[in-house]
Amino acid sequence: MVAILKQGAVLVVCVQSALNDRDLIELKDDLSDRVGRFRSRGVVIDISALDIVDSFAARTLRDISHMTRLRGAITFVVGIVPDVAFAMVELGLTLDGVDTALDLEDGLVQLAERAATNNNG
Amino acid sequence: MGWFNLLNVQPRIIMGESVRVPIEIESDIVVARRKGREVSVQVGLSGSDPTLVATAISEISRNILVYAQRGEIVITQLREWNRSGILVVARDSGPGIRNVDLAMQDGYSTGKSLGLGLPGAKRLMDEFTIESTVGTGTTITMKKWARVVW
Amino acid sequence: MGLNNFPEASAYLRLEDEDVDRRKMFVNLQSEDLLHIAVIKDVVGAHANELADEFFEFLSTLPETSLLFQEYGQLDEVKRLKRAHILAMVAGKYDREYVEQRVRLGLIYGKAGVAVRAFLGAFCRLMTSIGSLIAEFFHDDPRETFTHFASLEKLAFFDIGIICDVLIETRERVIAIEHTVTPVLQVRDSLLILPIVGVIDSLRAKQLTDTLLRAIRENRAKVVIIDITGVAAVDSRVANHIIQTVAASRLMGARVIVTGLSADVAQSIVTLGIDLGALHTVGDLEGGLEEAERLLGYTMIRSSSSSIER
Repeated sequence: MVAILKQGAVLVVCVQSALNDRDLIELKDDLSDRVGRFRSRGVVIDISALDIVDSFAARTLRDISHMTRLRGAITFVVGIVPDVAFAMVELGLTLDGVDTALDLEDGLVQLAERAATNNNG
Repeated sequence: MGWFNLLNVQPRIIMGESVRVPIEIESDIVVARRKGREVSVQVGLSGSDPTLVATAISEISRNILVYAQRGEIVITQLREWNRSGILVVARDSGPGIRNVDLAMQDGYSTGKSLGLGLPGAKRLMDEFTIESTVGTGTTITMKKWARVVW
Repeated sequence: MGLNNFPEASAYLRLEDEDVDRRKMFVNLQSEDLLHIAVIKDVVGAHANELADEFFEFLSTLPETSLLFQEYGQLDEVKRLKRAHILAMVAGKYDREYVEQRVRLGLIYGKAGVAVRAFLGAFCRLMTSIGSLIAEFFHDDPRETFTHFASLEKLAFFDIGIICDVLIETRERVIAIEHTVTPVLQVRDSLLILPIVGVIDSLRAKQLTDTLLRAIRENRAKVVIIDITGVAAVDSRVANHIIQTVAASRLMGARVIVTGLSADVAQSIVTLGIDLGALHTVGDLEGGLEEAERLLGYTMIRSSSSSIER
């Protein structure tokens, strides 16, 4: 399942278990709604609880992060551990076009830096 | 071992315990890959190998659901003289794959997610064979071996 | 194919005359023994086929030797090998060539991963069978039987010594390869360098990627420099391994700079159809370090004698 937490202008999405089709639709709608409602500037999707990311999960992550970006929120996927990264790459799931960071902490820092650069740029 | 001549002599492989996971609904995929991970660890696969096996099982199981609606995954412990391994057989009575060679083609260099996940699963495992007949079904056999123990 | 393409036997065991003599000394093989062996030569030779079949039969039932038979083109070839070995054992000529043949046999077993205990078991049974033949030949005379068998037994230990040394050497080489550790260097906060030297095959590539990814996690690295100046042969396969490693590192939030890839090599790889576009490459390590520091937000002003951090 998924927990969505609001930290100021940032939404933190903690994916706690494998998502199926139904969960995915729910998550996308829920997230889309919240990003709009709170005018979130950033989203961090934490998948550190997932022990496997297969092609379905990868596509899901890509779809969600595209959606949130389209709605104006810088989005980072974080929490991919070494074994999972290795398996993903072997399967060709490189999450191109999706920003990544090491973990939640790192993701929040990167979001802040990115936001600062955008403000100054 | 390039200077040996390979022949179809059946190696003496001993098959151990088997676990059968029916694949009928989406949550079965998670069951199958958890079992796969469990057995991988049991046979001594280490490092990232259990994850690789579980991921391959995930891909193959999902294929079963998507293309055949139902099937099964059978996970078996293997023992050869100096190494142990895991055998995963995925079976379905679905429509079958018309062009197996095409399905096994590597599309990963384009960075797109793989259509059937087959070439990817093959890369994750040590051995991989696929038999498919249109109208009858598909059987995928994959193995992964733990490192040689003297 | 088959037995003709062997790695140099001498690469595994010292084969100089003095080494052969020393091995004979260990088992106390004397000229007297050669005379004894000559006496039983025909008796053993006459049964060489049976003995080889028996030896082969035993080995083929063992899971410990399954790989051996899987790898051979013809099972007959193994039998022929064994028969030749048995004949050579009683032929009386135990020189460098004889030792080389034993080494080759040992290499076959070693490469096929035959367990030492299985090999020794088979050899032991062979000797027991030969012992019976010798006893029969001497009409069960204990003195004669023992004298002649003992001489052959010295040679058996001579053989075993060679084959075991080869098996040990083969095993040590396998272990050595498995234990080659490539250090990942933490240069400064968030920056890692992975210098790769030598040959990269898929196994090593996997180990390197594994090591690097864990280091990225432990050190919370943002930038990694993979230096391949020391890599023996950079071909499309190596390039793919590097691309995979870069992709996996990125999934963990680390950017990778590849240094040490010469323009020529890069060109030839691109010509082979590998897209290096995604790779961030810099000519040399120093340049890579500067680039890394730029990425991390440091700026270095380099003068001829010192560096000032700004």
